[in-house]
Amino acid sequence: MDLRLNNISHAYEELQVLKNIDLDIRQSEIVCIVGPSGCGKSTLLRLIGGLEQPQVGEVQQIGEPPPGSLNPLTYIFQDFALLPWRTVKGNVSLALEDHDLGSKERGRVIDDVLRRTGLAEFGDALPRQLSGGMKQRVAIARALSVRPAVMLMDEPLSALDSQTRELLMGDLIDLWMNEGFTACYVTHNLAEAVRLGHRIVVLSRRPGTCR
Amino acid sequence: MAEDQSSGQADEIKTVPYRGGSFEIRPLGIISPFVFIGLIAFWEFGSRTGFISGLVLPSPTEVFTAFRHAVCASVRFAATADHRLGLRQCARDNCRTCNRSFFCGAGRFVAIGFSHISNPENRPVTIVYYLVWHWRRIEGRNNPVILFGTFFPTVIATYGGVDNVDRNLIRMGQSFGLSWSSIVRKIIFPGALPAILSGCRISASIAIILLVAAEMIGAEFGIGAYILLAGSLFATDQLIAGVAVLSVLGLCFAWVIGRAEKYFLRWRA
Ligand SMILES: Nc1ncnc2c1ncn2[C@@H]1O[C@H](COP(=O)(O)OP(=O)(O)O)[C@@H](O)[C@H]1O
Ligand SMILES: [Mg+2]
Repeated sequence: MDLRLNNISHAYEELQVLKNIDLDIRQSEIVCIVGPSGCGKSTLLRLIGGLEQPQVGEVQQIGEPPPGSLNPLTYIFQDFALLPWRTVKGNVSLALEDHDLGSKERGRVIDDVLRRTGLAEFGDALPRQLSGGMKQRVAIARALSVRPAVMLMDEPLSALDSQTRELLMGDLIDLWMNEGFTACYVTHNLAEAVRLGHRIVVLSRRPGTCR
Repeated sequence: MAEDQSSGQADEIKTVPYRGGSFEIRPLGIISPFVFIGLIAFWEFGSRTGFISGLVLPSPTEVFTAFRHAVCASVRFAATADHRLGLRQCARDNCRTCNRSFFCGAGRFVAIGFSHISNPENRPVTIVYYLVWHWRRIEGRNNPVILFGTFFPTVIATYGGVDNVDRNLIRMGQSFGLSWSSIVRKIIFPGALPAILSGCRISASIAIILLVAAEMIGAEFGIGAYILLAGSLFATDQLIAGVAVLSVLGLCFAWVIGRAEKYFLRWRA
């Protein structure tokens, strides 16, 4: 499944945030969007995933998501967005509970993604007992559990210290090597983008345009 | 950028579905007056059909009639007091004429009421006294007083709690395609629970105060009456015993809510 952005423009009240964005995200490729803070990267990502509607233009989904994908467009947020009242397992489970899986199958999926992200021993920990890097790995596990067609990552490493960032970056690269996921990766850090991305899109200052 | 498709057949193109909305903060605008009118209509309907007991909650029309009679009375009172021509006529006739001078009377009514309340000696005591005493006379029990006294702190606390739930968590829920009811049950309610429980704490203390106040005014039995009696007989031992019972009652409430907080909010540090 590919995504195509057709001539997208968006404004909040008077503030023109995005202008005439055209972009293709093809299967198994990681597109990095870089740009200064406040240039509309997060806004663009919200438009891509359908959390907001663009005022002009449209986001198209070309082809069917792979069979078994529960939530084709899945986010990973900068602030992790974990429910503090649920354990690691519970947080992953949240994404699955609205789908028609038996509790056995759900447990299997949860164990599987926790193992893949190296969290197998932390299934019953609460988010406050985890470090930042671990929290983001829980968020990645949660995203993987719904088998996304495209992962939309909004500065997933920006809230972490540089060492953890390095480690998690390695994890993401390994993950891509093994599973070849599709992603749109937003960051303000060019080094990250160069290391991870197959293609880099630079967003200029407001109003954001592609370069 | 070549437009080649990796799979042979032409792929279906569709727009990405919109998943946001529903939980946005937006001004209610026209809704609130309608809700208010609807609520009054429901109240009237309930009173007419009888499933709301007229003793506990008289219907809106009855309340309005009572208000009009009170206005008439105050108009009559005003007329006899200062012998003004138009108003004296109103005093001779009854409600038919009253309708005409209703609005001038309403002002008078409010003014009299206000002067009564604004007298610093009367103010706090009379309001509480009339409220509590009248409810007691009507119902014979303390339920309505306590109900009203505890309802609003809880509602306001809940409202504040829901309002404070992290928007990012709600957005996360939407991004995973959770249904509306799932978001409410699994994200909004647990997120608002700390505020709801602290609202319960406030409500519990208000409930105790109102209970005792009500007993002091109208009851023969109960802790309030016991303390009042002990106080007037200068039986300090009984007085302190009564106060101790009250304290224990308060501590019990606090303990129960504390346990609930400990259990439901154990995810907090
Ligand atoms: N919901 C919103 N309402 C109004 N303005 C917004 C909203 N979201 C973002 N903005 C504005 O849009 C601009 C771009 O924001 P954002 O997409 O978060 O930038 P970035 O993620 O690149 O730092 C900012 O100036 C911000 O103030
Ligand atoms: Mg951002």
